[in-house]
Amino acid sequence: MPFRYIALESLRQLRNLPSLVFTFVVPLMMLLIFGSLYGGSGQQEATTGLPWLVVTTVQMASYGGMMAALSQAFAITTERSVGWNRQLRVTPLSGIGYLVSKVSAALLVALLTVTMLCLVSMVVLGARMDASHWILSIISIWIGVIPFALIAVAIGQFAKPQFAQPLFTVVFLGMSVLGGLWIPLAVMPSWVISIAQTVPSYWLNKLGQIGAHGTGDALTPIMVLAIWTAALAVLITWRYRRDAARQ
Amino acid sequence: MDIPALELAALSKSFGQLTAVDGIDLTIQRGEVVALLGPNGAGKSTTIDLALGLAHPTSGTARLFGGDPRAAILAGRVGAMLQGGALLPTTTVRQSIALVAAAHRAPLSIDEALDRAGIRDLAKQRVSKLSGGQLQRARFAIAVVSNPDLLILDEPTAAMDVESRREFWHSMREFTAEGRTVVFATHYLDEADSFADRIVILNSGRIVADGTPAEVKSVVSGRSIRFAVDAGEADAATSALSRLGGIRSLEQRASRFTLVSDDSDATLRSVLHLVPTAHDIEITAHTMDDAFLALTTSAATSTDTVTVGA
Repeated sequence: MPFRYIALESLRQLRNLPSLVFTFVVPLMMLLIFGSLYGGSGQQEATTGLPWLVVTTVQMASYGGMMAALSQAFAITTERSVGWNRQLRVTPLSGIGYLVSKVSAALLVALLTVTMLCLVSMVVLGARMDASHWILSIISIWIGVIPFALIAVAIGQFAKPQFAQPLFTVVFLGMSVLGGLWIPLAVMPSWVISIAQTVPSYWLNKLGQIGAHGTGDALTPIMVLAIWTAALAVLITWRYRRDAARQ
Repeated sequence: MDIPALELAALSKSFGQLTAVDGIDLTIQRGEVVALLGPNGAGKSTTIDLALGLAHPTSGTARLFGGDPRAAILAGRVGAMLQGGALLPTTTVRQSIALVAAAHRAPLSIDEALDRAGIRDLAKQRVSKLSGGQLQRARFAIAVVSNPDLLILDEPTAAMDVESRREFWHSMREFTAEGRTVVFATHYLDEADSFADRIVILNSGRIVADGTPAEVKSVVSGRSIRFAVDAGEADAATSALSRLGGIRSLEQRASRFTLVSDDSDATLRSVLHLVPTAHDIEITAHTMDDAFLALTTSAATSTDTVTVGA
């Protein structure tokens, strides 16, 4: 595994941080609005017994982490269009090495976003929970973001530059709504809830909530997210090998 | 003989109806500097993609150093400047080179790559701010960063002005002086003539000439002699000229004749002796451009007759 390349590539994406402000601002605003709406009086969520403020924080941190990962798609489309991937094909970098470099870059940015949102919830909104539960929750969300990093690579690889934006919008809207990251799924019709069980964002949020709670069946979300990850990884490495040929 | 640096055998590539590469056989020994010359659409870039394993041949094989192209790339033995292969616009030159270097197993230092391309002063420059010529040289630094034995360059001096082209070939000379192999595609004849020890001319996906610059030029070396005869005497002139020796070719269009000869003085004397009524006589010398034009226009139909050298 080309660790040096992976490290350089991840750091390079961190330098692009200013462009990520926009993907950070929306979950931040939503956290501040919904957080003070639900959280002020300290109600608890009925099934888990978690404070609503924490539930909302995990939801928004999941959303923010997902957006940070998904937005890597734009960098990838641009890199491809200038021929960077073709140049990489004349190096020993394998499809897997390429994938790992992109995923670790996305995860680094996502970790930063998720941690920031949790800190804002603690400091500004006064959310209280054991440190171990915060950490477990952040780690759970972070792991749950992996398939989204892969979705970003797939969008970046398949979409022409002019289609990346609309495709990104459809994916993130669908994932946000269906996964219950914006509005709790409880208020949705039952058919939406059954579709929700197939999308990774639902399980991302679920895993985050389990992390915050400290108990629960973490195996199902991990399994579903792992299946998404494996399927996307196969697709992406296949595409990377084919992609080098001139069009 | 050593294992050749590059070996293409019956290589073909079709994109749907279009045959971009049409049965190329080419062996390049180590230490050779070879120009792939041809007009746009001749199949140069596709041939390079196939040689590097970036595209899969429809039929035939491409081998580098006796093995699969990918194996040579993994071993860091091949560097390439591709068409459309570029640096990242948002990075500095140094950062882009460092990224590519990190993907290689035993790269040169970034400074050494910069020095070889003669662009140490551009290291901190943002890629998006480079001029066309500077960008090409930065791409050269990326191509040499793996310290390769074989360099494959697709139109390396495109977008360069005369001065940067001169500097570029100066860096290249240093590279080839160490006995490395260079294959470059170009449509500049003078470049092929002055920098390659061997010129391979491609047209319509086929090799139409392969030899030293001198040999390729000699395909249409010598001079053309053009003259006319009166309309009624054309047949008589034709039969008279059939006795003429020492000419490369004879072409007749109605009452106008074109001869190509290595010794135009002697040929002209014979012509005037055999066809005393010849008039409107013109003698012109051939250039590298004529060689190129002659080979790339007639070649598609008469491949064998114009292949020279070995």
